Amino acid sequence: MESYFTFVSSVLGLEGSSLWGVVGAIAVWALPITGFVSVVGLVSIWLERKISAHIQCRVGPMEVGPHGALQTIADGIKLLGKEDLVPANADRILFGLAPMLVFASTFVGFAVIPFSQKAVIADLNLGIFFLAAVGSLEAIGVVMAGWSSNNKWSLFGAIRAATQVVSYEIPLGLSLLAVIVVAGSMSLNDITEAQSGWIWNWFLFRNPFMWAVFLIYFIASLAECKRAPFDLPEAESELVSGFHTEYSGMRFAIFFLAEYGAMYIVSAIAVVLFFGGWYTGIPFLDHISGSIGGTTGVVVENLIGAGSIIVKSFLLICVQMWIRWTLPRIRLDQMMDLCLKYLLPFSLVLLVAVSLWQAFQGPVDGGNSVMGMIMLVATVASIVWMRRLAGRVSKASELRRELPVVKTGL
Amino acid sequence: MTTMNTYFGKIREVSRSIIIGMGLTWRYLVNPKEIVTVQYGSKKYGPQKNYLPARHRGIHYLETEKCIQCEICAKACPVDCIEMEGTRDGDLEGAWQGDKVQISRFVIDLNKCIFCNLCCEPCPKNCIHMGQEFDLAAYTRSHGVKNLLTDKPWSEADAEAEAWRRDEMKRLAEEKKKKKAAEKAARDAAKKAAAEKKKPDGDDTKKS
Repeated sequence: MESYFTFVSSVLGLEGSSLWGVVGAIAVWALPITGFVSVVGLVSIWLERKISAHIQCRVGPMEVGPHGALQTIADGIKLLGKEDLVPANADRILFGLAPMLVFASTFVGFAVIPFSQKAVIADLNLGIFFLAAVGSLEAIGVVMAGWSSNNKWSLFGAIRAATQVVSYEIPLGLSLLAVIVVAGSMSLNDITEAQSGWIWNWFLFRNPFMWAVFLIYFIASLAECKRAPFDLPEAESELVSGFHTEYSGMRFAIFFLAEYGAMYIVSAIAVVLFFGGWYTGIPFLDHISGSIGGTTGVVVENLIGAGSIIVKSFLLICVQMWIRWTLPRIRLDQMMDLCLKYLLPFSLVLLVAVSLWQAFQGPVDGGNSVMGMIMLVATVASIVWMRRLAGRVSKASELRRELPVVKTGL
Repeated sequence: MTTMNTYFGKIREVSRSIIIGMGLTWRYLVNPKEIVTVQYGSKKYGPQKNYLPARHRGIHYLETEKCIQCEICAKACPVDCIEMEGTRDGDLEGAWQGDKVQISRFVIDLNKCIFCNLCCEPCPKNCIHMGQEFDLAAYTRSHGVKNLLTDKPWSEADAEAEAWRRDEMKRLAEEKKKKKAAEKAARDAAKKAAAEKKKPDGDDTKKS
């Protein structure tokens, strides 16, 4: 069985470029993805509010639905009912186009993100390259929004966004390149296939440098998504709300949805690159179609795969939120410092190190289990160590005494 | 060498403080006991007694049996939201017993009230207080008018009973007036009689 979407299109005969082909493509590809993006947005906005509330000793939304689960839907309806304002002297065409472009750049990314083994819309052999190219398109939309709003805060936000996204593309691309060196392919399917088997076959444990590569990718992706501590483009305390200051109603909602969609995309890329994609890390579950057999087996295997990748992505989204509600926003110069003085040299060194490791190790099919196990144990040990380090500071008063004074920022 | 030290030292310090900070927020995230929110209107959290400060200026309550209906609170009110009526003329059916007074009506228009506490300050009997209740939400404006005698919004039934009592109060007042007049007449008559009785004696003394 081919991938699900290819299968459907071949059954419906949508290969041609006729009008029905376009309608069919929209029905089969675009609508499910739109639904998925919306659901991701709904769930992650609710998660964000709950996590931020609990971190700040609050309870968050509680009234609409159980524990406020339907609050986002209520807010969406409210936003739909709002007046669509365009500021005076704004560039109306660009103003209307900007949220669409921002959303489109997020939306297109879903074309190559795998949902499970068979549910990939387009298995491009340049998948990661495509994602990196399309992901930075968002900066153009943001600059358009800031420029066309005829508002100084919007313009400042847009310029900051452009600075940030362009500079963090470099460490992001270099860390992606390190993974490509290990996998030997740019296709997201091939990269995932290379991580099949037990949990220590994941690229995160493939060699001693992958954790550092992952950290650099994660920091750079936070900046790409404009998430705190890199939320300079929409810094509430300085720029009202940055590039979307002038947007109201549904246009604002589309910006918001695009932001949360982008969060899912970078998390899903991280899962595919480092955390084994749709593989759960237990070979029996990953190849359950062998023991069940028939169509049922394929469906169950795909469901497990989809659950695996979505759960892992949402865990990473939770980590992003945890970081957002812990760390304060950094300054513009600190942001550039971090990128150019720390992330860039480290990612270059790591790329060389990973390449050398790969060259000396030679081609290994299915990964090096011994190395993987050592790295897994080292990972668990370092997490335990970090917990102890954090656990030593159990009360806020003690924190104040023990926290080292960082004289100059990073 | 010092440059390298500061470079890696910075990385070390920053990582350390990030780990400590994230550990702290994690502790709050996973520990529901830390939550301090009191959910508005929910049964689980509900308005508990004494969780507000003692001087909280909520909706008023009245110690009716201490009230002498001096109207000082109504005069002190800067927005004129207190109204009261009552009588000292005798037993008023359906009225509330104050201190030597029958109170027929004591309402506060909470739509106007600014919760300034100026009504409680001058009260000579210390009988009107700002309470702990703060739930002012109502479906209509008329529900915002509170009857301090029943601790409930001023209702239609209250208004009817109050209208009846107003007539009754007029009747009582007239009755008392009549009674007083009659008493006065009787007293005058008695005085006159006494005077007339005394007169001859006086004449006698004058004569003698």
